[in-house]
Amino acid sequence: MVNVTADPNKSQEKTINMSPWAIARRKFLRNKLAMISSFFLLTVIIVSFLAPYVTSADISKVNIMQMSLEPSNEHWLGTDKSGRDVFTRLLYGGRVSLLVGMACTTLVVLFGTIVGSIAGFYGGIVDSVLMRFTDFVLNFPFLVFVIVLSTIFYGLVDGLTILIAVISLLSWGGVARIVRSKILAEKENEYILAAVSIGCKPSKVIIKHLLPNVLSTIIVQSTILFAGLIVAESGLSYLGFGVPQTIPSWGNMLSASQESDVLSNKPWIWMPPAIILTVTILSINFIGEGLKDAFNPKSQR
Amino acid sequence: MLKYTIRRIIGMIPMLLLISFVVFLLAKAMPGDSLSGEIDPNNTDPQYIEEMRERLGYNDPIPVQYFRWVGGFFQGDFGTSTRYKVPVADLVAERLPNTIFLGVSSLVITYILAFAMGIYAGRKPYTLGDNLIGGLNYLGLAIPSFIAAVFAIYFFSFNLGWIPYSGSVDPTLQPGTFDYWLSRAHHVLMPAIVLGALATASYTQFLRNDIIENSRKDFVRTARAKGTPTSKIYNVHIMRNSIIPLVTFLGFDIATLISGAIITETIFTYPGIGQLFLSSVTNRDYPTLMVITMMLSALTLVGNLIADILYGVVDPRIRLD
Repeated sequence: MVNVTADPNKSQEKTINMSPWAIARRKFLRNKLAMISSFFLLTVIIVSFLAPYVTSADISKVNIMQMSLEPSNEHWLGTDKSGRDVFTRLLYGGRVSLLVGMACTTLVVLFGTIVGSIAGFYGGIVDSVLMRFTDFVLNFPFLVFVIVLSTIFYGLVDGLTILIAVISLLSWGGVARIVRSKILAEKENEYILAAVSIGCKPSKVIIKHLLPNVLSTIIVQSTILFAGLIVAESGLSYLGFGVPQTIPSWGNMLSASQESDVLSNKPWIWMPPAIILTVTILSINFIGEGLKDAFNPKSQR
Repeated sequence: MLKYTIRRIIGMIPMLLLISFVVFLLAKAMPGDSLSGEIDPNNTDPQYIEEMRERLGYNDPIPVQYFRWVGGFFQGDFGTSTRYKVPVADLVAERLPNTIFLGVSSLVITYILAFAMGIYAGRKPYTLGDNLIGGLNYLGLAIPSFIAAVFAIYFFSFNLGWIPYSGSVDPTLQPGTFDYWLSRAHHVLMPAIVLGALATASYTQFLRNDIIENSRKDFVRTARAKGTPTSKIYNVHIMRNSIIPLVTFLGFDIATLISGAIITETIFTYPGIGQLFLSSVTNRDYPTLMVITMMLSALTLVGNLIADILYGVVDPRIRLD
């Protein structure tokens, strides 16, 4: 009896001596759904980035003899209308989709954080100018302008680079706003005043003192962004304005379903990318939820 | 309140001008000659082409061309589609009702589903029904709309044959009859559900959490102590407080619907603005492209304005000035 009643206190004591990061890590590791999702996402990432070592089939070779074959031992998920192995394309496509998602997320978070933290820290006229600019970018309907921009640059520069640049250029506004509001609240604390008064340079105050305290928000935001940007890439590719058709990506593979013959009679061509895309987004969302929960000091788990 | 609204509307004008400038420059930067469609393709004499370009004002300096274009907007002249050879205004007016119909149906379906599921889950949290709704929500948030659309067409149109997968109405029916409207509703049902899936999921989740949170507040305890029936507490006392934050979502929905409509209309080959936009990009029909881009940007601005204003209307604690 004594032991049972003492238990909650004991665990309470244990968390007292832990750093916020250690508490968050422990909470996250105990979250089953988030852990399963992380494991799944990691597997997808590793397998698709090791695609050349996993399968030996050629993705670009058109094979008329093996057009639209149903799944079999030789072709696990069948072949598409050009006779290319769907499973192999799925792996290579995952590589492109995840790469675009990661690159965009990195750029967006980097740029949004820089703009948001500068606006939040300096305030005044710098803040007004930067935030009006952010509002300006946020007012563009995302999909419309991505399509227009990628049409302009089509063929001028490498298609993948342009796609990443265009998506990133139009998506950083949200991060900038959130980081700014967090920095605004955080800089009112006395330790910032202390840092400024002992002569810390603004760049040092931002990087060393302010950013670590808003990092948890940025991490959670970037998970949500990652999922959203993968969806944006595949949606654009589906419409034919994303990744060039010559490069397999999950969105490009899905665009085969625009032909009603493929859609109704050959589900093995479009269903695998659709399912893997959905499950990947789902697992990223679960990881995001888990992280949010882990960083939230009020949640008990 | 009124002062704030007027100030915001005036503040929109420079933003719109700035956007119009960006749209114009982008259209100029797009590959191909944006006026080449207006020149008679059967006459390829270089001198004729040069003459036409001069007459259509294509050789004028960029600022002159820009002001001519914007000036036309104020006079209700939106240019002529280079592909369809009709005024863009007519082209848009023909498609706009379809898109508005789709957007409104999508909102109505979203509200009905979200309220039904959110209220149920909020009243009976942590039960089987709540968990089922929670699972559905996760799916709604995770499945990209175009994948949902593809699956919907595959299952409901091809395998079950319940719902048509293209067009906005059965072309054999007479406009104005009851069957005509029934057919329109039938055609719009699936695109509207797919378009509203994301909003439905977030509304449901929000409503559920808000109802659970409100049900722990003091005014609910007081109402219970007075002997108010549970159903009245939930339907009147709690609902009134939980609906308020939802109202502000409406403005953001306008922006989401615009982007969503482009993909959804294309997949369901629904003849609306989104489809017209994509076809104008592929056909290099720049006058149409510019007008639609301006229109969608303006709508996004209005959506954000509505969100901000509603925020102040429903919650007097937020001071707008």
